Amino acid sequence: MKIGIYFCNCGSNIAEKISSEAIIAAAKTFPEQPYVTIVDFICSEDGKLQFEESLKLEQPDRVVVAACSPRDHEATFRRCLINAGMNPYLMQMVNIREQIAWVTEDPAVATEKAIGAVRGAVMRVTLQQPLEKKQLEVCPDALVIGAGPAGMKAALSLAEAGRSVVLVERTPFIGGLPVRFEELFPALECAPCMLEPLMGDLLHGDHAGNIELMTMAELVEVTGFYGNFIAKIRQKPRHVSLHECIGCGECVEACPAITMNVFNSNASERKAIDFAFAGVLPNAPFLMEEICLRYKAEECRACKDACPMGEDVVNLEEVETIVERRIGSIILATGAGLYDASQIAGMGMGTLPDVYDALQFERMLSSTGPTGGEIVTTAGNAPSSVAIIHCVGSLDDDHKPYCSGICCQYAFKFNHLITAKLPETTITHYHRELVVPGKEAHTLYKHAVKNKNSCMKRYDGIKDLAVTVDVSGQQQVSAKGDAAPADMVILCPAVIPAEGAGKLSALLDVSRDSFGFFRELHGRMDAAQSTIKGVYLAGACQEPMDTRSAMLEGMAGVGYTLAGLQPGRTLEIEPINAEVDETHCAGCRLCVSVCPYRAISFDTEHNASSINAVLCHGCGTCVAACPAGAITGHHFTNEQIMAEIEGVLK
Amino acid sequence: MSEKPKLAVYWGASCGGCEIAVVNLHEKLLDVDAALDFMFCPCLLDTKKKDIEALPDGAIAVTLFNGALRTEENVEMAHLLRRKSQMLVAFGSCAKGGCIPALANFTTKNELLNTIYIDNPSVDNPGGVIPSGTTSFPEGDIHLPGLLWRVKHLAQEVEVDYYIPGCPPESQQIWNVIETILSGDLPPKGSTIGCGTLTVCDDCDRTKEEKRITSFRRNYEFYPDPKACLLEQGLLCMGIATRNGCGAPCTKANMPCTGCYGAPEGISDQGAKMVAALGSVMDIGDTTGLSEEAIAGRVDAFLKTIPDYAGLFYKYTLASSTLGGKVGR
Repeated sequence: MKIGIYFCNCGSNIAEKISSEAIIAAAKTFPEQPYVTIVDFICSEDGKLQFEESLKLEQPDRVVVAACSPRDHEATFRRCLINAGMNPYLMQMVNIREQIAWVTEDPAVATEKAIGAVRGAVMRVTLQQPLEKKQLEVCPDALVIGAGPAGMKAALSLAEAGRSVVLVERTPFIGGLPVRFEELFPALECAPCMLEPLMGDLLHGDHAGNIELMTMAELVEVTGFYGNFIAKIRQKPRHVSLHECIGCGECVEACPAITMNVFNSNASERKAIDFAFAGVLPNAPFLMEEICLRYKAEECRACKDACPMGEDVVNLEEVETIVERRIGSIILATGAGLYDASQIAGMGMGTLPDVYDALQFERMLSSTGPTGGEIVTTAGNAPSSVAIIHCVGSLDDDHKPYCSGICCQYAFKFNHLITAKLPETTITHYHRELVVPGKEAHTLYKHAVKNKNSCMKRYDGIKDLAVTVDVSGQQQVSAKGDAAPADMVILCPAVIPAEGAGKLSALLDVSRDSFGFFRELHGRMDAAQSTIKGVYLAGACQEPMDTRSAMLEGMAGVGYTLAGLQPGRTLEIEPINAEVDETHCAGCRLCVSVCPYRAISFDTEHNASSINAVLCHGCGTCVAACPAGAITGHHFTNEQIMAEIEGVLK
Repeated sequence: MSEKPKLAVYWGASCGGCEIAVVNLHEKLLDVDAALDFMFCPCLLDTKKKDIEALPDGAIAVTLFNGALRTEENVEMAHLLRRKSQMLVAFGSCAKGGCIPALANFTTKNELLNTIYIDNPSVDNPGGVIPSGTTSFPEGDIHLPGLLWRVKHLAQEVEVDYYIPGCPPESQQIWNVIETILSGDLPPKGSTIGCGTLTVCDDCDRTKEEKRITSFRRNYEFYPDPKACLLEQGLLCMGIATRNGCGAPCTKANMPCTGCYGAPEGISDQGAKMVAALGSVMDIGDTTGLSEEAIAGRVDAFLKTIPDYAGLFYKYTLASSTLGGKVGR
């Protein structure tokens, strides 16, 4: 076997520490008798040309390049091999610059180390095999789960790029949490107004035809892998045709059945057939089967009869269906919720009438909410004192150890809005740490600090606080026994993943952290990618975040989809991956749970594991784990690794 | 004199279990006798060393050598039988990888002798005599072969033609090997025979699922579910990293495999492979937000549930392993 060693001086970087003459002399003692070519800068245009010409002339069977880190130029030199008509995987790089020349004082020692490393590479490269990249056709379309800010932004942007998008939303409406708020921090923009253009484009814009919006729907099954997922989606019956309903509300008037409206935090009533809240999009009511008289075996068709748009708009016979869609990527944008503040003793949540969590208060502030935007106590009066308690369950090892990041900002927004509506009302912020990062958040903070009606009180732990009612019926907050009246108490609970994240995680095999948020592939480098290839994370399902960050993350998911899955292009499958030798697999299934990419499945018929090459990243974990030695890591076989070690240690 | 090919079964440092396994051939022994001249077996027959020495070199067709090499006598017999045999088979785990006798390599020869003859509550040895070679006593001389400074397996001293694993080898596999030898249709020299090419999991019919192990339990602590994989139930079953062919009698008896058939085909170090495999399925829970100390604490807590790593993972293969044993004499 003819082996060529290409030794790069890298100017003086390598040459001043490692003697190329010594490498040439050492190579003469190798049993393989490799030839050695010295190049000054092999990565330069001249160097690459010289390398390629030499390869064409010498026609070696295997090549060793002793130069810099493969992180720098392995791809470069592989291309040179291809240009010279060789298989690129028949080359082995030796990093004699970073790992030897730069970190070794004594040139004699450096040269000795380099000889060992080159000998290892020569012994390894003789065992290397030509490998071929495989191609796979992909579906460029996407499934977006959750139609909040992140999901809407992602869906619309993909649609604008010409991709078909299935947008699945659990609730009957789009817009997520902020569409239910009156104004948003930091600039006090009207939330529904700010979101309206986005929602409008999504529903009726030029690219809306590329978006299949499914409200009242949920994912039930996903099979396949990156580029080729098959998703099954359960469509629950709305009983109102989204295409034909004009949102006039005649059916609502006619409906005789009444319940509490969960989308107004149960602070107002609704009919069995009704809008989620005023101004909701899509502008159509939905029927709650559990409330409707027909589902209590009574005859009623008041809504259907009241509809001025004809017989087909309200469909009382509609049933649940399961639809199947093929997509290439999945963007999870399932959002967040609030920690149940009634879990925290002494806060009065659920026991005292005028204790509200932030979501309930947002609805109270909203002109489409239960009080039409009036700030009133249960008794119907404007509060003369309001307490806002920060960090309820956040930064608290007994509840959620993390900072929820957004609460201080919306608490100061509340301060602003309360004073605007009730200029005489006093406001007390009970806070622990104050978190107002970025270039915009300080405005509301400073406003609150300067507000003559408000004051800040710092507390150490939530156990120091108690919300109580005294003998006279006055609600108050006491901090270490120091009590102050608070007609209304607003709690800022920890931000937690929205309901259903656990189910989705199990369905998709996407892992979650100990707090229940979806786990990112890498917290800094790949925060918008999940651990499963082709499943991206957007918005507060990944960690607590505001609308701005959620929209940006939505765009990150779009970026991954557009970059990775292009129509007509195929997916290149890296040949450095692992493969199971079925004849040696005894079916212990140990590898299945080891794979971080869910690339290994178990074939019960053949009683053997198999690895999906598309999903495999070639990390080698299963190769090391397989106790039967039945898994081979291509390009990193045990024999290759042992040969390299042996060569280095000789 | 018989015209049949000669068969010898010899023991080095061993327990006698391999001979029992041979005797367990039951009536098949008659077939062995019909085909071969079973002429040397100190446990069963009267043939002496001098009778072997008197044979011409290569006179024995097959020697099944069991036991490890612990003493100079073991080594001497290994060389003698190598010379006199056309085919020398390392028979059983001691001859193949050192097995239980080789666990002595976790200590040194001197420490071992000290424990046996000097520092031992049941020994009264005022003179501090450690007998070796010829030692004189008032009652007369005693002759003991010297101990090697460490226990070896057969191939570390002489060339071995084939290996048969097991502690002891299963009798049906012994019969398979004898049939193979008689047929003359043998695999390349150096092969391991009388076994399978997969792992014990293939012989074990328990239901296997994905494996995440939170801690290990000992056999005495509970009655394992007879249908579910023992490893998944937290027993340190070596079956995943052990060559098959035994038929998994241990797991069928609700006991974990201890690994007596050694490393599977293509694996050089059974213990290291087992450690790599267990490291991969060790479940210490979600570590998000935990300090390094807390994570290390969880790993330690997991590892504490494994008693005697080396004795468990290298019970049958220490002499042939990369680990080797304690350095020193």
